[in-house]
Amino acid sequence: MSALVNAQRFVISPRLARLPGWTVLVVWTAAVLLPLYILVVSCFKTTAEIYDNRLGLPQSFAFDNFVNAWTRAHLGQNFVNSLIVTGGAVVLTIVVSAMAAYPLSRYRLGWNGIMLGLFLAGIMLPIRLASVELFTLMRNLDLLDSLTGLILVYSAIRIPFAVFIFANFMRVLPSELDEAARMDGAGEVRILFQIILPMVKPAVSIVAIFTAIAVWNDFFFPLIFIFDDRYKTVPLAISVFVGQFRTDWGLVFASLAISMAPILIMYCLLARQIREGVGAGGGMK
Amino acid sequence: MTNLRRKSSLKRTQQRMAVLFILPALAVYALFVLYPLAMSLWGSFFIWKGLRMVEFAGLSNFSRLFVFPSGARLYGALWHNTAWFFGIMVFQNGIGLLFAWLLFLRDKGAAFFQSVFFFPAVLSPVIVGALWRLLLAPGGVAEWALNGLGLHQGSLTVLGNSHTALGMLIAVDAWNWMGLPVLIYTAGLRQISGQIFEAAKLDGAGNARMLLSIALPLLMPAIGTLTTLSFINTFNQFDIVYVMQGVQGNPSYSTDTLVTYFYRLAFGAEGAVGITDIGLALALGTMLFLILSIGTLMMLRFFDRRTVQL
Repeated sequence: MSALVNAQRFVISPRLARLPGWTVLVVWTAAVLLPLYILVVSCFKTTAEIYDNRLGLPQSFAFDNFVNAWTRAHLGQNFVNSLIVTGGAVVLTIVVSAMAAYPLSRYRLGWNGIMLGLFLAGIMLPIRLASVELFTLMRNLDLLDSLTGLILVYSAIRIPFAVFIFANFMRVLPSELDEAARMDGAGEVRILFQIILPMVKPAVSIVAIFTAIAVWNDFFFPLIFIFDDRYKTVPLAISVFVGQFRTDWGLVFASLAISMAPILIMYCLLARQIREGVGAGGGMK
Repeated sequence: MTNLRRKSSLKRTQQRMAVLFILPALAVYALFVLYPLAMSLWGSFFIWKGLRMVEFAGLSNFSRLFVFPSGARLYGALWHNTAWFFGIMVFQNGIGLLFAWLLFLRDKGAAFFQSVFFFPAVLSPVIVGALWRLLLAPGGVAEWALNGLGLHQGSLTVLGNSHTALGMLIAVDAWNWMGLPVLIYTAGLRQISGQIFEAAKLDGAGNARMLLSIALPLLMPAIGTLTTLSFINTFNQFDIVYVMQGVQGNPSYSTDTLVTYFYRLAFGAEGAVGITDIGLALALGTMLFLILSIGTLMMLRFFDRRTVQL
């Protein structure tokens, strides 16, 4: 039947009819990959070579630009700072959000609906608009110029999304799970961390991936909370860098490549989970 | 009887444990999100000296927003954010729907294209902005390519031209996030039962007809999600402007947004160097907060009503 329909639809050959669609997809693939290709090959070129030979492969794969970016521009320190902040925020967000989502989704408390609503409202609250008061608060708590301060702020921002995801996944687990464990005398802490949390591993990875991406990429809060070069994160360093070393294109391209490397590697390893995570939760930015 | 007592003691334990479990998350969230947000809204009704609240001033900060010299900045930024939103709706979410439809028709290789298209979305807008600033700079790759193809002559100054700069930023933003509508629309299309499309095909509907008359109405939830997300993201636009055009939204404020304007007022980059106007900044923040929450709620309601059920 379907063949008959096709024969009616495509008077020319079906393959030819599919050509425009394919072309559109391939053109956008090129539009995505070409800038990234230029970024990567330019990392190995000197500025003169970038002007002479824009698209070709570099004459030699010299790592001078990377070494300069890492040492002369102190990107190494920024990199470590970003790793600490991202790692800290991911762990803190997962632990406290899973703890909060457990009673909110599995106990009958009478007030858990309201509490869940309070958390979920945070998904849409534009916290950047509170940055003046946040700045004052951070100053009073002595958290300016501190990686701990960034970890706390990022966790606070990501908690609503994490609670939402955890609660959605925990709600559908059968109630026999914790009831049986309670009969055996397991405490609530043990039930959460040894029974429930391992059952919602997909939720843990969704929260971990999306928290990591959001925190690694953010630039706004380091911009207002960090003044000392020693505590700058990668995106903040990059924003200064691009203006400062504008004439040394190879160096700038190399620093961009370094700063996106961890996310690039993560994306290649976890592309499927990320694609499915977008379907499950959305919230990226 | 014992069973009942055990149940009520379990209930009491649960109430106590629930408080302990929720407290850490609630404390962090309340301290660093709810409290500063509430304080900012409250503070917008006061006169400020530097970082200190001085005197209750009613709505005077708000009325100052709309007159000289703030008025021009405000209307400019408001217009740029609005244009940005419509640009994203057409060039990101519109073209994204076309891509999703093409992938849905083929199915083969969909995962590959989705992964490639989504990749820029995992990069920091700072990196994306810096990369495109280099590519679009005078002497950059874009200029070289356009000259080589004979489409353009001489130096390319799209980012320095107040007529084209905003459009370029919107295009870069769309490039950055194109993968999002593609993922959300393809997920939506897969949820539609294949029988509906089969039936339409038998009735003689072509691909374009099926997209417009069948898929589009059934995709309302996905369209609603994307419209709301795009609205929130557009009115929070800051990073790309800061990295590509500076905090003033160069050239001559032609790419200024509400958040870059807010940032200048709050952190002292507007007018005289180092002078902040916290009262005005908080009034702008409160206004933006109202725009965002009212707009978001209206959109959610609008799309909720238009959801077609089969």
